[in-house]
Amino acid sequence: MMDVGINFINLLFKMEYMTQEELLTLPVTKTVDARGTACPGPLLEAKKAVGTIKPGDIMEVLSADEGTKVDIPKWCTKQGHEYLGTIDVSGYFRIFMKKR
Amino acid sequence: MEKKKLCIGLYSGSVDKLTAAGIILSGAVADDMHVDIYVLLQGARAFRKDIGDNPDKLQMAENPAMKAEFLQSLKTLKVKTWVEFFRECKTISEVKIHICGLAGKIWGAEKLDDFIDIADDICGIGAYITATQEADVNLFI
Repeated sequence: MMDVGINFINLLFKMEYMTQEELLTLPVTKTVDARGTACPGPLLEAKKAVGTIKPGDIMEVLSADEGTKVDIPKWCTKQGHEYLGTIDVSGYFRIFMKKR
Repeated sequence: MEKKKLCIGLYSGSVDKLTAAGIILSGAVADDMHVDIYVLLQGARAFRKDIGDNPDKLQMAENPAMKAEFLQSLKTLKVKTWVEFFRECKTISEVKIHICGLAGKIWGAEKLDDFIDIADDICGIGAYITATQEADVNLFI
């Protein structure tokens, strides 16, 4: 059921997102663990962290905040980064993006 | 590309609305917006150095009877205080905080040093009006 929700979010932003299997093989450069914070904490953590990686690098944001799985894809689009997809792990989300 | 500008007229000095302002500000700086905050009447009191982050000295704009519950929920959810939001946002994007001179005087604070250190300057209403005309987005809180 969760996968359906996440796929809906991906479709909502009309993105060519990756499968969960593909996401799991990504060479992640930076992991932002924002599971301890509520909105807007994860977004701010992502904003700060993206400044520390190079274009082409892949970053994942860990968040237990429901709003973040909508916020980060939208933020990526506006900022010109590439949202790659989201994996629902028990109790939190892994949100993947590539810096442009 | 030129950054979008957000102008906030921050009239409220209540802890709930200041927290909302901090959350909105966070979203704006995540989008690289340049933000000018004009602190007006009630807001200027909250920016006084001896008040700022002290919730005992701030009221709630709505549901005043639930202030303790509200503050406890923020703490449980690890939500920053309004001053912490403002301070962090100033490190991420261009955020300028201007205190209305008259508002400061009303609350017994006339010099920049009378306010918490996130305030950038003291200004008149003309500066606020000019900023509203130049902004892409205007909010009044």
